[in-house]
Amino acid sequence: MHGTDDADSGTGDAARLGALLSRAVRAAVAVESVTALSGGASSATFAVDAARDGAPWPLIFQRGEGSVGMPKRVQAELQRIAGGHGVPVAPVVAIASPGDGLGDGFVMARVDGETLAPRWLRGDDFAAARAAMTAQCGTALARIHAIPLAAVAGLALTGGTAREQCAALFALYRGFGVDEPAFDLAFAWVAARLGDHPARVVCHGDFRSGNLIVDAVGLAAVLDWELAHLGDHHADLGWLCVNAWRFGQWQHPVGGFGDRAALYAAYEAAGGAAVDPRQAHVWEVYGTLRWGMSCLQLADDHLSGRVRSVERAAIGRRVSEVAADLLWLLEYGSI
Amino acid sequence: MAGHPDAAALVAAVRDFLGGLKLDGRDAFHAKVAGNVLAIVERELVARPDAAAAAALAPIVPDDGKEEEDVPSLRTQICTALRDGSLGPATPGLLDALVAANLAALAVDNPRYSTFLRRAAAAPQR
Repeated sequence: MHGTDDADSGTGDAARLGALLSRAVRAAVAVESVTALSGGASSATFAVDAARDGAPWPLIFQRGEGSVGMPKRVQAELQRIAGGHGVPVAPVVAIASPGDGLGDGFVMARVDGETLAPRWLRGDDFAAARAAMTAQCGTALARIHAIPLAAVAGLALTGGTAREQCAALFALYRGFGVDEPAFDLAFAWVAARLGDHPARVVCHGDFRSGNLIVDAVGLAAVLDWELAHLGDHHADLGWLCVNAWRFGQWQHPVGGFGDRAALYAAYEAAGGAAVDPRQAHVWEVYGTLRWGMSCLQLADDHLSGRVRSVERAAIGRRVSEVAADLLWLLEYGSI
Repeated sequence: MAGHPDAAALVAAVRDFLGGLKLDGRDAFHAKVAGNVLAIVERELVARPDAAAAAALAPIVPDDGKEEEDVPSLRTQICTALRDGSLGPATPGLLDALVAANLAALAVDNPRYSTFLRRAAAAPQR
């Protein structure tokens, strides 16, 4: 299924998905269509319209397209474990095995709601959702961080001390051969403030407004678990507040919809560890640097010729936005 | 010269052409991104942000006797000094210089960005 224009491959995938699903739920499942939704360098997502015992069954199939990052089957297992610990996720229906001929992929329920953050951050239809989101995100993060390490022992999640993670991010930066003084200044500032205690909790790693499904009453599902790792509980809290995920709604530091104090209170009320606002701020600066490295990576994909794309070229110019945010954070202490 | 469109006029013509295309889905999205890219090019042709950035960064760089250094060289020297610790978050004037250079870049790259607008609003107090 490398492209839906390949009719034979698409038909074959529909049949293979039908066989996998029938076996997973011990029922007659027919897959009627498989439609590509988006494709990245590392994964592709498809809407699957199936019928289970004759009733419509909307699903999502996600497949890894490269060898980089967390295998989809591991991502699916973690998503399943998180769901079992009370985190809102799309229920995982089936995980493909090598013999299924579907590559490294898994099938999950298609959860109703909006995934485009600018829509739910601005739309009048989502006012009630926005009012509920801060507490719901604090609760969801507390539940993620409460997943026992023993429950994920088989997933080989990466991890390290905060200083080790920061050193790895700096090495990534140096690998691009770019000299952006705001980045070096922020790295120096962050490195002096991160601890070296061992990683303590399961972090989602990419918990931000663009990776959530939001319906009329709020958080419906947490998506994209492929950057999950073992780390510091402040890391996810800081990442959610990075200005890039506010989509212009900068007055609302939590993802463009909420206030930090309310997020921390909800997190602690749901059983999360005590939040040190200064440490969360350090992780917000670190997260801003992380987004800066993503901008450099995407621009490098284009400039190196790996993935020629006007979109990736344009993202290279967003580096100056990231630099502006870093300089503002260092000068004023928050955005 | 009348009848001889300059580079900015040519780029603007292409941007207008892209804006008039009737496209769907990913093509429409990429055409919009391409139009935004051409707007950056138009602003850069007019603003010459490197001159402003060089003026802001030059006083921060330790004097090596050379004159009239370009922006990439200045940035490399500042980054090298930040990496070896001879410049740092506590260096007087460093943050202001980086902000000034950044504002020149953002005025070209995205003058609608929230932090740019907030800086611009705060400028009289600086």
